[in-house]
Amino acid sequence: MSLLVVDGVHKDFLGRVALSGVSFTVAEGECVGVIGPNGAGKTTLANIITGFLAADRGAVRFRGARIDGLPPHEISLRGIRRTFQLTRNFPRMSVLENVLVASAAVGMPPARARRRAEELLEALTLASLAHEPAGHLSGGQQKLLELASCLVSDPALVILDEPFAAVHPSVKETIQQAIVRQKADGRTFLVISHDLGAFAGVASRLVAVGAGRLLADGAPEEVLAHPAVVEAYLGGEAWIR
Amino acid sequence: MLFLDLTINGLLTGTFYVLIAIGLTLVFGVLKVVNFAHGEFYMAGAYAYVLLALRAGWSPWAALGGACAAGAVLAMVTERLLMRPLYATYTTWKVPKDEYAVLVTFGLSLFLMNLATQVIGPQSYRGPSLVQIPRVDLGVALISGQRLAALGVAALVLAGTVAFIRWTPWGREIQAVAQNRFGASLAGIDTGRASLVVFALGGGLAGLAGALLAPLYQAYPQVGALPAAKAFVIVVLGGMGSVVGSIVGGLLLGVLEAWGAAYVSYAYQHVFGFLLLILVLLLRPWGLFGERAREV
Amino acid sequence: MATETRQLRATLALFALLALLPWAVLQPYWQGVLIVALYYAALAVAWNLLAGYGGQFSLAPAAFSLLGGYTTGVLHYHAHLSPLVGIPASVVVTFVVGDLLGRIVLKMRGPYLALTTFAFLAIVNLVIANSYAVTRGDLGLSVPALPLTRPQYYYLFLLVLAAVQGVTYGLLRSRVGLFIRAIRDDELAAAARGVDVVRWKTRVFAITSAMSGCAGALYVHFSGLASPEMGTILESGLVISMAVVGGLGTLPGPIVGAFLVEAGAEALRQVGVRHMLVFSAVMILVARTFREGIWGAVERLLGAPRVLPASVPGRVPEESR
Repeated sequence: MSLLVVDGVHKDFLGRVALSGVSFTVAEGECVGVIGPNGAGKTTLANIITGFLAADRGAVRFRGARIDGLPPHEISLRGIRRTFQLTRNFPRMSVLENVLVASAAVGMPPARARRRAEELLEALTLASLAHEPAGHLSGGQQKLLELASCLVSDPALVILDEPFAAVHPSVKETIQQAIVRQKADGRTFLVISHDLGAFAGVASRLVAVGAGRLLADGAPEEVLAHPAVVEAYLGGEAWIR
Repeated sequence: MLFLDLTINGLLTGTFYVLIAIGLTLVFGVLKVVNFAHGEFYMAGAYAYVLLALRAGWSPWAALGGACAAGAVLAMVTERLLMRPLYATYTTWKVPKDEYAVLVTFGLSLFLMNLATQVIGPQSYRGPSLVQIPRVDLGVALISGQRLAALGVAALVLAGTVAFIRWTPWGREIQAVAQNRFGASLAGIDTGRASLVVFALGGGLAGLAGALLAPLYQAYPQVGALPAAKAFVIVVLGGMGSVVGSIVGGLLLGVLEAWGAAYVSYAYQHVFGFLLLILVLLLRPWGLFGERAREV
Repeated sequence: MATETRQLRATLALFALLALLPWAVLQPYWQGVLIVALYYAALAVAWNLLAGYGGQFSLAPAAFSLLGGYTTGVLHYHAHLSPLVGIPASVVVTFVVGDLLGRIVLKMRGPYLALTTFAFLAIVNLVIANSYAVTRGDLGLSVPALPLTRPQYYYLFLLVLAAVQGVTYGLLRSRVGLFIRAIRDDELAAAARGVDVVRWKTRVFAITSAMSGCAGALYVHFSGLASPEMGTILESGLVISMAVVGGLGTLPGPIVGAFLVEAGAEALRQVGVRHMLVFSAVMILVARTFREGIWGAVERLLGAPRVLPASVPGRVPEESR
């Protein structure tokens, strides 16, 4: 059974169509990349899946049950975690506390939560900053912290919105490695990125969105060569390898 | 006929409300903050008018100008001293911007009220009338000469303000900054000056209102509290930052209060405004003419 | 964390000091001043939890102390119920009303929240002042005093303050503390991480309102009178300035602020200067420059790290002057 089913989702903002009849599925253990130029509707899609926006038409199913219409925190508690395009952490709380919020929300016992948080911070190279206020961290460290907060509660599905945007290559690498390791443990990922190169070795499948519509859905090589995708990105000629 | 009488009275009172509210809405449009000390600019104008006319022997019309100036100057000092931290996105305050604005303007309101009590005294002063005509028959309603004169001034100034915002370079700068501060600064507009001008304008208008209403509502330390509260209701009702909104909202509030006081309850008439405020904030927070903001 | 332990220790030391005060201060007048300071301290601690830790800058704290005072007053005046019923009733009533107001302001931040709570305070005040039949309006409601001496009153108020502080501390230490501080910093991020924002925001509002209501109920039994004067915007301003001056978002701050402002008010009264004149100015100064209040300044001297406010990283910086 598919873990996540997006079924005919349609969203328009006062006349401007953001998403039009978008449908795809994500199977357990997959890492699916969502690509598309800016304004294609990728973040809107993420917002709808995670409950921050309501779709005008269509449904979203997680493990068979409909989740559209549920408030964001409930969707989160069902096992879907996300990061934001503009990183959102809690600047006045320490790095460790940032991660503990997520574990406390799922009712994890404090001792286990703390251990898990410390492991994750270690894996994401943030251990030395555990007691620093999150507001003091650099942009790349903020992204890593957001990722740690996502993973601590052991979610089934993790949605990353532009995790590779504007970060130092070493941070990008750390994130990619983390995704690969987590995938090996069976975690499912949906990664939104307009940076096509970042998916190498990470995504097993790509979903391409353009102007609110689904353009292509399949293996990376196929999708990247698809004429509609090429057109959407480059407006015509060139090829992408 | 009572209904017509009430409605006209409501519209007349509403015009003064608009005068007070316009400054508040403009300040919000440009600085994105509610100035809780706005009522004290009204108070400053009321005091200036009364003291200049009674103590310094100025003519009422000259004192009117003085009141306007008092409100404007007080506003400019406030902007320069207290509002600067709001312009930087990255602040090093323990208190974030919105909350800083609330604390600082609220504190200023308390400070100014207490300053007036301390320095001038808690007693109220009644200001002199602008004109000595007792009553004018307009056909549809009977109105005192003072009220008519005050209304005339208010209406003229309001028209002038709207014209200023619409057609002068400074006014257009204010519009630009209100729409997009960052973009405006990229386009070379001095956003600090726009903030200063809009604050001065708001303060001057509030001061003028205080002076125009001084013959009726007098001048005392807390005189600005209720007008400010009315202004808050109007600005929210009309939409924060919308000039049209504050005109419609002000007139609407004036009329609603007149009807409410007569048909529902005189004692609770002020409660209507506050209930309306909460209702609007709950159901339609962007007001009648405001813009909805997108969050995520 | 070093800061937390230091604040906890300081708060405990403060309470030890307060427990000993009646031995040092023997005149009834000054004991009365201290009791009033304890009353305000409870209000300030409650408001600090709501605003300093929770980020909801309500202008209505005085509305709840007013409601608390009048609940017990009205119950006694009309139904002749003793304070043993009246005070708990006040807590329940203010909890419920606080929950209601909390739901109303749920989606509001900054100026909108301030405006709504301001309007709420005005409405409550107006209704109480005008409902002569129930509340005797501006005349105020006569309330029976408890059969206690001044020192006994002092310890009663101190007990209540300790309870309020204890509940605050307990909440902050628990996961609730993590939730409300997360909500304060970024509601959307909190929701994305599974925090039930609605539930915790309203819960904090209700709890802090009940704390204020309790303090108000106790206060009217001490002063013997429930009057609309208790619930004016100036009263709210006093409570807020105490919390800000003492140190917003710190444990001992509000208590330090309350005592300093009360003591300062007495001193200023001798000199003939209005105390709110000075304290509103100090509050502005603190918000404008010192930022963290007196306790914050103390911590800075002891080497605590500086913490940034809830600005969103990565956003393009606007012009700064």
